Parts: sequence; C-alpha cells; structure tokens
Amino acid sequence: MNRQFVCIICPNSCQLKVEYTGKKIMEIKGAQCDKGKEFVKNEITNPLRVFLGSVKVIRGDFRLLSVKSATPIPKKYLKIIGKMTHALKVDAPVEIGQVIAKNLLNENIDLIATRKIFRKDCIYRNKG
Amino acid sequence: MIEKEVIIIGGGAAGLAAAITCYERGIENLLIIERNAYLGGILNQCIHDGFGLEKFHTSLSGPEYAQRYINQVQEKEIPYLLNSMVLEMNAQKELMVANRQGLHRYRAKTIILAMGCRERTRGAIAIPGTRPAGIYTAGVAQELINLRNYMVGERIVILGSGDIGMIMARRLTLEGAEVVLVAEKLPYASGLPRNINQCLYDFDIPLLLNHTVIDVKGNGRLSEVTLAAIGKRGGIVPKSKRRIPCDTLLLSVGLIPENELSRQAGVIINSVTGGPEVDERGQTNIPGLFACGNVLQVHDIVDNVSLEAEYITEGVIGYLQGKKTNKVQEIRIILGNGLRYVVPQKITTIKDTIFSFRVNAPGKKKTLVFKEGSTLIHKSFFPRVNPAEMLRITLPAEELKNIKSLTVRLV
Amino acid sequence: MTEKSSLYDVVIIGGGIVGCAIARELSRYELKIAVLEKEADVGWGISCRNSGVVHAGFNYTSGTLRAKLCVKGNKTFEKLCQELDVPFKKIGKFVVALKKDELEELKRLKEQGEKNGVEGLKIVDEKELKKAEPHIRGIAALYSPNTAITSPYGLTIALAENAHKNGVRFFLNSEVTAIKKNHSEFEIHTNSKKFQARYLINCAGLYSDKISRLTGAEKYRIYPCRGEYFVLDKNASHLIDHLVYPVPKAGSGGLGVHITPTVDGNILLGPSNEYVKKKDNLAATSKVMKKLIDESRDFLPLISGRDIIRSYAGIRSKQAPSSEGGYWDFVIEESKIVSRFINLVGIESPGLTAAQPIAQKVVQMIHEKESLKPNTNFTPFRKGILCFEEQSETMKKNLIREDPDYGEIICRCEKVTKKEILQAIDNPLGAKDLVSIKYRSRAMMGRCQGGYCLTRIIELLREKYDLSPQEITLKGNHSSLLTGYRSDEVEIS
Repeated sequence: MNRQFVCIICPNSCQLKVEYTGKKIMEIKGAQCDKGKEFVKNEITNPLRVFLGSVKVIRGDFRLLSVKSATPIPKKYLKIIGKMTHALKVDAPVEIGQVIAKNLLNENIDLIATRKIFRKDCIYRNKG
Repeated sequence: MIEKEVIIIGGGAAGLAAAITCYERGIENLLIIERNAYLGGILNQCIHDGFGLEKFHTSLSGPEYAQRYINQVQEKEIPYLLNSMVLEMNAQKELMVANRQGLHRYRAKTIILAMGCRERTRGAIAIPGTRPAGIYTAGVAQELINLRNYMVGERIVILGSGDIGMIMARRLTLEGAEVVLVAEKLPYASGLPRNINQCLYDFDIPLLLNHTVIDVKGNGRLSEVTLAAIGKRGGIVPKSKRRIPCDTLLLSVGLIPENELSRQAGVIINSVTGGPEVDERGQTNIPGLFACGNVLQVHDIVDNVSLEAEYITEGVIGYLQGKKTNKVQEIRIILGNGLRYVVPQKITTIKDTIFSFRVNAPGKKKTLVFKEGSTLIHKSFFPRVNPAEMLRITLPAEELKNIKSLTVRLV
Repeated sequence: MTEKSSLYDVVIIGGGIVGCAIARELSRYELKIAVLEKEADVGWGISCRNSGVVHAGFNYTSGTLRAKLCVKGNKTFEKLCQELDVPFKKIGKFVVALKKDELEELKRLKEQGEKNGVEGLKIVDEKELKKAEPHIRGIAALYSPNTAITSPYGLTIALAENAHKNGVRFFLNSEVTAIKKNHSEFEIHTNSKKFQARYLINCAGLYSDKISRLTGAEKYRIYPCRGEYFVLDKNASHLIDHLVYPVPKAGSGGLGVHITPTVDGNILLGPSNEYVKKKDNLAATSKVMKKLIDESRDFLPLISGRDIIRSYAGIRSKQAPSSEGGYWDFVIEESKIVSRFINLVGIESPGLTAAQPIAQKVVQMIHEKESLKPNTNFTPFRKGILCFEEQSETMKKNLIREDPDYGEIICRCEKVTKKEILQAIDNPLGAKDLVSIKYRSRAMMGRCQGGYCLTRIIELLREKYDLSPQEITLKGNHSSLLTGYRSDEVEIS
C-alpha cells in the first residue's frame, strides 16, 4: 500500500511517501530528518493525537472549560473521549493544567484544563 | 474628554501584545478598549492547539495563549475597559466609547487599531437558493459550541477549506455530528497542511477541491445543498451537480479585516489586504494612528500577530517621543509577480523593517527578490510557499538605506 | 378536546400590510376585531420583502383603483408615518432613459401622472440628471419629487401594534383551514381555534384565491411572480441620493430592476421578476443574481459584487398570467355571492403606498351597511423602539444614564443596543423569531449578518421566554437554529 503524509513535526511540512503492508513499513521517501521518519512510523503503527474538547463548568465565568489530553492518545479513542466529555463537569475556579479527569478508558488518559476560569461572582473590574 | 497617550482598540491577541510592549517601554497612560466581557478576543473560542509554537516553543490552546498575555496585563495593572464599544473615531484621534457606565469621549496621542476581523458571509458570496436556518459561518458555530455549549446540527457540509472550516470539521465530529464533506472552490486547500491531516484525513472526511455550493434548499431548516465542480474556465460543470442532504452548512470562505472605524476616520484601506495601508512603522496615513494584527492583514498564526504588535510599538513610542526619524520621500513598494500583497505598502523612514507577504499560488523553491530598479537589495529563499501561510522577513536598515524605489517579486 | 370559539364583528384573514392597515382603520370604531395570520409574525409575505417605495402614482393607468388610491396614499403617507413613528424620507425618483426610443415613454408617464393628480413631475435632460446624480448614466429622466421611501416591515409592524393597542386581537400561527357561513355568521376554522364573525375580510395576499374559494365566493387565480433583491453595504450609499428606475417595459411582471436607497442607509438592487410555480418559492437564483448586477450597472457602473451583503426574495400576487404580464387592477369588493365577505385580491405594487386608502375604502364598505360607533379610546399614535444610534450625543448620554442597557452595543454593525433588542423581544404581538427581532431592531441587518450579535440575541431570547436551545427559531416552525445543548446536561449556570 502506498500513502502520502504531510509531516506535522516542524514547519517544513515535508511530503512523505510511504510504502507499507499492514503495519510493516517498506520504504519512506521525502523526509528531511529522522523525526519525520519517526512520525510516519507512528502514523502507521499507532497514530497518536492530542485530544481537544470541552467540559461543562458549574458557577464559572465561562460555561465551558476547554480541555486537552495530558499527552497524545491513540487516534482511535478521540471520538469516544469526545462523547465522554459530555458527561463531565467541573466546579469553578479552575487553573490551567488542573486535572479534570483521570485514567479514562483505563488507558491512562488524563484530561487537563486549558483555560483559567473564575467563579461567576468574580468579575474583571473595569480599569481606567 | 479623557486624554491618553495610547489607546488600543481591541483586547485580543494583537491588542494585548501591543499594550504590554508599550507598557514595558515606559507608557503608563494607556488604555485597552474591548467590546467583549473578557480579554483575549477570538482566542477564547479556539480551544484547539498549535498556538505558541514560535513564541513559546510549545503547543498551546487559544485560551492558554491568551492567558499568558492576560496574566501580564493583570500583573502590570494595565488599564482596560470591557463591554465597551468604540462608536466613532475621527482623524484627530478622538473616540466616542459606549458602555453601561455611559458615553465617553477620549482623545489619544496615538491609537493602535487591533479590532481583528469578521467572517465573509453567505450573503456576500451570493450563494443562490433559499435562506433557511442552519447556515452558519464557521466562527459563529465555533462560538456556539465552544463558548455557549450549544450544538448546531447533526449532518454538516462545510464550504471552504480555511483553517476555521477544517478545525470545525474535527470539532463537530468529536462532538458526535456527521461531517459529510468539505468543499473548496480552489484547486488547493486554503488552510494549513497539518489541519488537512488532523482534521480531515484523520476522520475520513472527504475534501472536494474545485467544488462549490451552487444551491441551498430548505424552507424552515436547511434540508440539502447542491455541489458542483468548477471547470477550468471557472464555470460550473453541469454534469458534476450533486445534491447532498444535510441540515447544516458551515461557511469558511474568508476573513475580512474589520475597518469600519478606520474608514470613518479617513484611513486609506488597501483593497487586497482589506486593512489600512501602512508604512514600515505600522502607521496609517493618519499620523499617530497605527494598525496591527488581523485588522491590518489576516494572519494564520497568532504568534505572528503578537510579533507584529510588538514590532509596531517601536513606531508608536517614536511618534510619542517626537523622534526625528530617518525620514525619506515616501517610497511605494511595487508588487511584482507571484505575490498577492506585501505589508507595509510604503516606506517613509529607514529602519530594520519586517515585511509580511502572501504568495499567489502554492509553489516550491521560490526566492523573494527585493530590487531598486535593477539593483538587487535583498533575496530570500523559501523551499515551499503556500497562500495559506503568511511569510515574514526582516530587511535590515543598511540594505534599505538610500533607496529611491523598491519592487518585490517572487521568482 | 373542544375548540374554543370566539365571536367577532370582523375577522381579517392575513396580517400583511393591507390586513394590518384595515385592522387599524376599523379599530377607530367600536368593533370586536381579530386578525388571523398563518405565519409567526405579521408581514412575512410580500409586505416585509418589497422595496419600501411610496409611489407618486404616475405608473398606473388613469381611472384605476391603483392610480387613485396610490395618489391618495402618497399625499397622506408622511402623516401616517409620523403617527406611527415609522421612518419616511421624501428623496424623489428619477425614471431614467438610456436610449432615445425610451423618451416617448417618459413623456407618456408624465402625462399619465399629471392626469392622475401627481404634482411636480418634470422631464430633465442629461445635464440636469448628471448634476443631481453624478454617478448615474442616462440621457434623460422623469423626475418625481413626491416619491418617497419608508420601512415596509417597520410600517407593517407599526400598523399592527397600533391596531393591537386599540383593541384588535392578533392570532399568529393561525392558518385558516375551512370557512362556513351559517345565516349571518361566518365560522372560520384554523389549525388551532375556531372563530365566528359577522364580516370576513380576505387579505390573504398570495392565498387570497384560496380563501375566496374556501368561502364559496368568486373564483380568482393568483400567479406567483418572484422578485429577487440584493442588499448593498452602507459603504455604497454615497453612490445615489434618489430612487433610480428604468423605463418600465410593457408586459413584464414588474417595474424593472431599480436602485433603491433604504431608510436605513443601504441600497437595494432589484427586484427581478419571474413567474414561478410555487407560492413559497423564495429561492434566489444565480441567473437572476447576475442579471440584477448587470442591469443595475447599466445605470450605476460603479456598483460592484463586492458591495453585496445579502440577497432576499419576495413573491407578488399577480392576477395576470405569465402569458400576459402587466397588471390588473386591485380587487377590493364585497363578494356578490357571499354577502359581508370582502375580497382584496391582487394587491401588488402600489399596495404599500395605497395601504391606508385601501383600508379606508373597506371601512366605507362596512359603514354603508351599518352605522359604526366611534371608538373614543382610539389613539392614532404609536411609538416604536427608540433608535439609539440616531440620537444626539447628549441624548445618548442621558439614555445610558437612565438605563445602562443603552450602553451595551449588541449589534456591532448597526450599533443596536441591548435595550432596543430587549424591547424588540418584548414586542406587543409576542413574536419570538429571530427575523421578528431583526425587523424590529435592525440587528443582524448589517454587513456581518449577525456574526457578532446572533449568539448574544439567542441568550436574550432564551432568558425572556425561557426557551430551550432548540426552541430558538429563525422564522417560524421548523426553523430551529440549534439541535440542543452540546452536552446533555441541564444548564446550571
């Protein structure tokens, strides 16, 4: 099987052509460095992605908390985790980096906060 | 009338960076005016990552990127107004601002325009058909989902392969909707390659290049769109018409810098960028009126927005200090082949100058050439160029000294 | 489940401008009046979708109702708008000839106008035209100083609100399904309630033929003829000051593609005219869209596709079939088959201009049958929503001081404040759709077409009417904007 990938490791965005069967790679063409080859190997054997989504907030100055997986997770879990976020909620205040959910799917998938949330009665004061 | 040294209109990425840099350079009598209830602008709804790769060498989400600047604003106690809209601006740099506390008049020695941009709408691209519910620009859908916790539809067609469209394709899929396809009228995607991968290929969402929506059906709510291929001469290929049942059409068909206030004040707007015409200091045709960020030119990477905002503050401070700069006869930069636009459009003083530009078409192994007549001033090599990616280079002052004209082209 | 039944003196079927104008005129008398409107708000047929022109009356064959009622309406329009707090601008019109063979028609129109009682008509030459309208092309023009513009949706809503204030009951979302007459009373069935009336007035516009048939009265046939429009960005408004029309072509369905400034400061291009098969076919078509630009450019070369912010369409109720084109006269008469059933059929242009005289004519018809007792509580005055943006600086300051909701700008493009939007949401007729809010406040009419304000208006609507996300509709049933919450949890914050 032949497939093209655009490498996302650095802004060079090398176009990589890969020949492979199942999970066995025969040839990689077009990579300008080893990171690209590593990237393509992962893409074929075990593609990982950072999950990005949101979770409901209780009593916060924003309704939704943006979250991400602490580390890239297997691509096949993205949609399921997405669905699971619908059932999650968190109390304000929230700090960036705070762990919102631990070990989802028993696969060590943690979701961490990517937004700072204040309690609703704490408002930005108009200055000036 | 309240007097300020610097007023920054817009508290998004550009406004925040400009304010902090001005403050760090000694300006305390400044004010950010923001219409939303929070700082950070559009970054607040951009919950995806990829922000900050250049500035902070890490991949942040929009809110995280914004928070880094908001933290500095809070720590430095830089004054800002929220829920405040600038209603009027004139060439004397006077503003009329409305908020719940009243109607206020300000006069500023310098104004930094950082209002960002708005989305091109269905009406503006004149898609035929009925006008049912279910047609959104991608940014509005993004706000509804990411900030307001609403779902817009179940079966989505996206027109336009800009970054926002592709990001929303992924977002909607992860939220349980079915994204049928993304159609793009150009022969290439208009967003970043990594988004094509991570938003479309990852979820097997087809990307139909050279296609557009030619009809919309549905009386109350959208029920179907008709797609067609665009032929070599730009017309519709009749046999390619396909009817796609769907309940939502998302449009990601371009961003337009929001320059209504600028126009009102008499700022000359460039018809290609949609933003003010500026010189190497980021100054518009009105002395003391500067522009940076999406209001000046539509950016793709927020890091460049911050860098641009930081860069123009030099001009702002210089103006406030009444510096006698290395003024020259105004040189209009002549645009040659291969380039859609270059910012700045003119040079009025000699200094280290950052040029931003976009190419006309994708290409490999291109060189950007600056010339004065037939004399080479500068050239830069780019292994790969793409209209979706703004390019920036710095020309040092020595290279620009004594030039009487300047052309730039891509070879 | 039994239907609730109500007995009225007059039931008006159709809440367009004609129905609402009749309701208002009738409310000057002590009558129990109801207006039945099948849509979720008044005016959603042609009344809100036309050019908003108050015609002078030279386009219409002398002696016709169209001519007489138009001239009468034109003379009293400014007063009507003042009473109802609706914008009115007498900007005048040029009917422009591009070719020599159109000059004859200009002369004919002038003569016809003068015969109809129109004042001030004047033929101007190329030089005078250029002086008045430097960007317009033409070799000569007929100038009509008494042609004006108004807000067609603003007026329809104002008429309805004033009628409502004066006791008329409006039943929205009420589609008439059957009509019977028992001796002296009509029994009108709708999809919700049953009504009884002594007089029944058919103002159903596109469906006036259907209503007449349901009543067992005269057979009419309405041919839908669609008109598409483009709305241009306010940045293009400096291009013209007056209405600019082409010389009308005989046998077409309309007055030709014209260029119309609006009272809000936009420019309209259109309408087109093409007969369509379905009465609800409001689609814009690429063929016509191109034609609109091309024909407008004949007069105003500086127009560009870049200025377009929106397109929309309306459907004329034509009595003339497509093979014939042109116009038949208004039908405003008591049925000869069913007594006390009054038919208004084929009210197309100049229906807006003639709305009040049409209504007065209907009142007269009832007056001839029975003495009508004046309603001593009648007030002709209605105050609309105060437009913040148009106020002086001092006034703006005072408004915000008295009510901080004036200080919060929700629609950025049109500078519409939270106060105005709340007032639009809290309208007397109880209309809840986004289009209803738009027509009352101007929000979402700007160049970003709701890009900034839509999400904010949704929150205000939800708050006021305690609506779930899926109950927010654009324009009536089946036009939900949202499928629900993103996550299934019930909203807590």
